[in-house]
Amino acid sequence: MIKLEINNIKKTFGGLKVLKGLTFQVEGPELLGLIGPNGAGKTTLVNILGGLIKPTSGTVYLNGRRIDPFPPYIIARAGIGRTFQVTRALNRMTVLENLYVPALAKNPGANKNDFKKSAMEILEFLTIEHLRDEYAKVLSGGQRKLLEMGRLFMLNPDIMILDEPFAGVHPRLREIIFQYIQRANGNGKGVIIISHDMDTIFKLSKRLLVLHNGYLIADDIPEVVKEQPAVIEAYLSRDEDGE
Amino acid sequence: MKKRIPYIIGLCIVVILLIFPFIYTGSNYEYLMHLWIMAFFYAILASSWSFLGGYAGQFSFGHMAFMAIGAYSSGLFANYVYLSSAPTRFCSGFKLGNVFMLFLDPIGVTTKKLTCLDLAKQAWPTDVVVSQPSVFWGILLGIILGGVFGLLVGALVLRLRAAYLALFTIGFSEILRAAISAEISITRGQAGLRVKPLFPDGLTLFGKAYTAVDKIPPYFVMLFLLLLCLAVMLWLVHSRFGLFIRSLREDEEVAATLGVNTVRYKILVFVISSMMAAAGGAVNAHYICIVTPNMLIILQMSIVIAMAVIGGLENIISAAIGAIIISFSLEFLRNDFTIGSLTIDMSIWRLVFFGLLLMLTLRFWQNGLIQPLIFKFSRLARKKQSISKHRIPEIDLTDQGSKEENEK
Repeated sequence: MIKLEINNIKKTFGGLKVLKGLTFQVEGPELLGLIGPNGAGKTTLVNILGGLIKPTSGTVYLNGRRIDPFPPYIIARAGIGRTFQVTRALNRMTVLENLYVPALAKNPGANKNDFKKSAMEILEFLTIEHLRDEYAKVLSGGQRKLLEMGRLFMLNPDIMILDEPFAGVHPRLREIIFQYIQRANGNGKGVIIISHDMDTIFKLSKRLLVLHNGYLIADDIPEVVKEQPAVIEAYLSRDEDGE
Repeated sequence: MKKRIPYIIGLCIVVILLIFPFIYTGSNYEYLMHLWIMAFFYAILASSWSFLGGYAGQFSFGHMAFMAIGAYSSGLFANYVYLSSAPTRFCSGFKLGNVFMLFLDPIGVTTKKLTCLDLAKQAWPTDVVVSQPSVFWGILLGIILGGVFGLLVGALVLRLRAAYLALFTIGFSEILRAAISAEISITRGQAGLRVKPLFPDGLTLFGKAYTAVDKIPPYFVMLFLLLLCLAVMLWLVHSRFGLFIRSLREDEEVAATLGVNTVRYKILVFVISSMMAAAGGAVNAHYICIVTPNMLIILQMSIVIAMAVIGGLENIISAAIGAIIISFSLEFLRNDFTIGSLTIDMSIWRLVFFGLLLMLTLRFWQNGLIQPLIFKFSRLARKKQSISKHRIPEIDLTDQGSKEENEK
């Protein structure tokens, strides 16, 4: 059973308190949305979960194992995979090579041929199989989003964190991403989606967390969350930090 | 078939290089052989730097320092380490199996006094045998020390990128040059350290005897070292190792979040490329028989980088070919020429032309001059589909479609 536990995570950069004590859990194949205004601390939280930055205090456990002190590659192998808000493809590597990297990194004894079939299946699902031998740098913004997600499928983590998966994506590709998320969740993965696209996130997620000024101000089903005064206040009013 | 063209061309070039010393009979034989040996040396440096800078994205300016570590380690080993069948109180040393390994005192530049070994010989009975370890032990020591320093530098620059990495490695190289220049009593400073030839007692190959100064033995040693380095690097770049170091070059953070142990691969690539540079430096030291701190000057490093860039930074073969072509070009450009009453001193101006070529390459052919040719042949065989022709299939965008997907 997948279990991600975030316990009282705090993060400060110099004098700036970005996260002020976050606690929540992800249990089983949840499809969880994470929203909040700009500067709420969403990306910082994702970076902590992925190991790119260390929390000032607090702990993160994945399936009973503490992971927050470890470097990103150990966390990735342990079962947390992520995409980036601004898509970061491995530009001067082909689409297939982009997919081989996580697969080979997670399976030390394997070689490329062991993953060719699964990589092609993923590319077909994402409708970019025709680009397999192209360098990632020639892909469009939407295709690069799809490639990032393909890499996540190859990493096969227990928890997938998708940072702005729908940003700047053509509606048709957006639906492919939509299907991707549902397929991942259907395969038993925990999925955390961070998005500013309210319509999609309300439609897609079954549980919604709202961050504001480093605090978790709501954690419930979307229908309940969107009626909460604190959430409406956070989105409609100017916050006290002047963001 | 087209895909095999680069391999066939490569094989032909190797065969020509193998038979060249035996079929060429020109009057400039010795000179040309020297050029080839130096070209192979630079090819080792340029290709190993391409492995580090082009594949792994670690733009180090300390490559010549690792080369010098190999050269000086082997040179100092050849000058200071002796074996004797009896102990002596005059030299420091230790027992190694049945023999005693002795270390000479610093030789200095102008000193005429007897070495500790001379004193020991006077005190020993006549049946004591004194010898020197094989030159190849010194080369091996140079390679190992190159790797050790590569490990240290690799570990120190883990968090440095781009300009910071370049400045750090320049600093390392300059410190090494200053240290070698300062330790005159040991290294002889700018006077240079004399080094034994690769085969001090000559060599007999296939019934033919070669003297210590013959060009054929060092030619083949350097050629085989180059081929060995290229084979190792090619094997690595086509393995998971190559995939991971390229992912490092593209985006270190992304590589880490995909499960790549970036620290390990960054250090490994430093160690491997440093060992190759050290191997080239050690063999070259025993070929030219003298090593000086000038081999570490920034111009030398710039030439190696320029060779890799002009050949093609992201391909070790093109970097090696670029190095060979540039080595010969720089040499042939030495010939002065006259335009009217003006005589151009090419010994100086050749570097200007070389610099111009580098600038033009960087401006117009970022992939170098050789790499696109290799790339063209290897891509020809691939079946390519036009991106624009591909149509994204229609997808059921309704909630029903999503539900069906969930049910699956």
